[in-house]
Amino acid sequence: MIRRAERIGFLALPGLSFLAIIYALPLFMLLLKSFQIDGQFSILEYVTFFSDNYSMSVLWRTLRVAFLTTGLALLIAYPTAIIMARAKGIWLSVFLVAMVLPMSVGVIVKAFAWSILFRTRGVLNDTLMSLGLTEAPIRMLFTETALIIGAANVFLPFMVLPIYTVLRQMDSRLPEATVSLGATPVFRFMNVTLPLSLPGVVAGCAFTFSLAISMYVIPSLIVGERQQTLSMLTARSFLYLRNEALGATISSILLIIAISVVLGSSWLASRLGARQ
Amino acid sequence: MEQIVVPHMKDAIGADILFEGTKSSVNLEKMSSNKDNPYLSVVQMDDPVMIQAVEEDLLTPITSGPVPNMTDLRSDAVHMDGMWCNYVQPWAGVAYNTDFKSGGVASWEELWAPESKGQLIIPSLQNTEGMWTLFMSAMLGSGKPFSEAQYEIDAAFDKLGALKPNLLSVYTTMSQAFNLLEQGEITMLSGNFSSYALPRKASGVPVDLAAPSEGIFAMPSGICLVKGGPNPELAEAYVNEMLGPDMQSAIANFATSVPANTTVKAGAVIPEGVPIYAPDWAFVAANRRDWIERFDKLMAI
Repeated sequence: MIRRAERIGFLALPGLSFLAIIYALPLFMLLLKSFQIDGQFSILEYVTFFSDNYSMSVLWRTLRVAFLTTGLALLIAYPTAIIMARAKGIWLSVFLVAMVLPMSVGVIVKAFAWSILFRTRGVLNDTLMSLGLTEAPIRMLFTETALIIGAANVFLPFMVLPIYTVLRQMDSRLPEATVSLGATPVFRFMNVTLPLSLPGVVAGCAFTFSLAISMYVIPSLIVGERQQTLSMLTARSFLYLRNEALGATISSILLIIAISVVLGSSWLASRLGARQ
Repeated sequence: MEQIVVPHMKDAIGADILFEGTKSSVNLEKMSSNKDNPYLSVVQMDDPVMIQAVEEDLLTPITSGPVPNMTDLRSDAVHMDGMWCNYVQPWAGVAYNTDFKSGGVASWEELWAPESKGQLIIPSLQNTEGMWTLFMSAMLGSGKPFSEAQYEIDAAFDKLGALKPNLLSVYTTMSQAFNLLEQGEITMLSGNFSSYALPRKASGVPVDLAAPSEGIFAMPSGICLVKGGPNPELAEAYVNEMLGPDMQSAIANFATSVPANTTVKAGAVIPEGVPIYAPDWAFVAANRRDWIERFDKLMAI
């Protein structure tokens, strides 16, 4: 006799089959392709990639930009999530709409908008000069700093929403209890709010890092072809070099990094959950 | 161009056009990936990519029986026994912002001038128009005439390397780079062409296209039939219309380009007094992948 839990498990079969066919199978085929040259098994493209200084510099830049984007997004998102978690009524709706609505705008539009803001004669430079912070326009467009700021902005909702969700579910009596025991605001934050919100932080970082490491349109528009990322190398390999094995290899490297981050963050989140 | 072509084809041959606009290389990838079950009937793309398509056996020849208008084309507009035809020919030079560079661009050497520091964007070699900066670098670097210089690729890359201090960026998306030129973020956009720059100039934007004294280039805009593509007879009728006098005149005027049909007197006039070059596209197609990798490494920050 089939147990109830197993019967419920069967209900997941259609969804799991869909995911397996639409996502897992193509990714497996991609991985397979990265080990094939002219129909033969080969690790040549991996050897070529990891022995090429240029490819390694692109890999390093991609990782650096993804880490810094995640860090900046976290820096902005955490206080935003705290404010949202404390908001009530119309203000909560306003914050949620403000966070979710930009997600309906295409990433190309947002990236292009940032490329306008970063111009020598753009709003940012005009503001800096009018405030007396700079005497002349500074070059922002086509710099890595601009890319990190633009990407952090685009991916911000993916950092804010998981943290907000966790903070919202936190028992509001816990911080109050620490206050009644005489804890300072810093002690309260470091020992109550922050530890309890860490699963949300981990999830937000995983989302943002995965998106940042694989972004294509944003670097294409903000830094151009002189500062390529792994995604740009992938497109170049498939479309221009017409080297499917190399394209599949770079895609697989990106995939492995993304999977590592997701698995690592799941492990971290479960450990943090267990500790609490 | 879509707004000219689509209604004309509906009236002339009763065809509804399903238009997929993208880069030549993306077209090639689509054709290659769907080789066993093609879904495109006609593709318009650049000559060097056409050569790759022929090598991959993706095209079927255009013949004068079902496409009689091809007999009126310039002889150099029909390639590889009709595998593709050039339907129009824009010319390429250096686009510049007239507010910040009112004197124009008299020589390609101005790209390398110290006062151009940070004021220049060039196309990637992933884009066909990227070849013009490469070939002009070959000419200036080797000191040889174009017919010989186009094979002096080492000299070209040496000269290109010297361009780096003046480069703000390298583009693969031309519309963004052109927008930066229009806004005055840069003063020059190398390798740009008449079908894009001159209509923008005509609309009142402060840009113009220079034909520097060393020479300009003929852009290779081709049209081909996809092997085994759907609706083959309608596809041939479409190509015939594209090469016919009505469409040739309309497209040449719209895109400020030189028509390929010799019976048509319309469109752009190629600037006089400067040589116009058409490279050995077979040489480009054979070497382009290596050049793209070399270019990306050279230009990387």
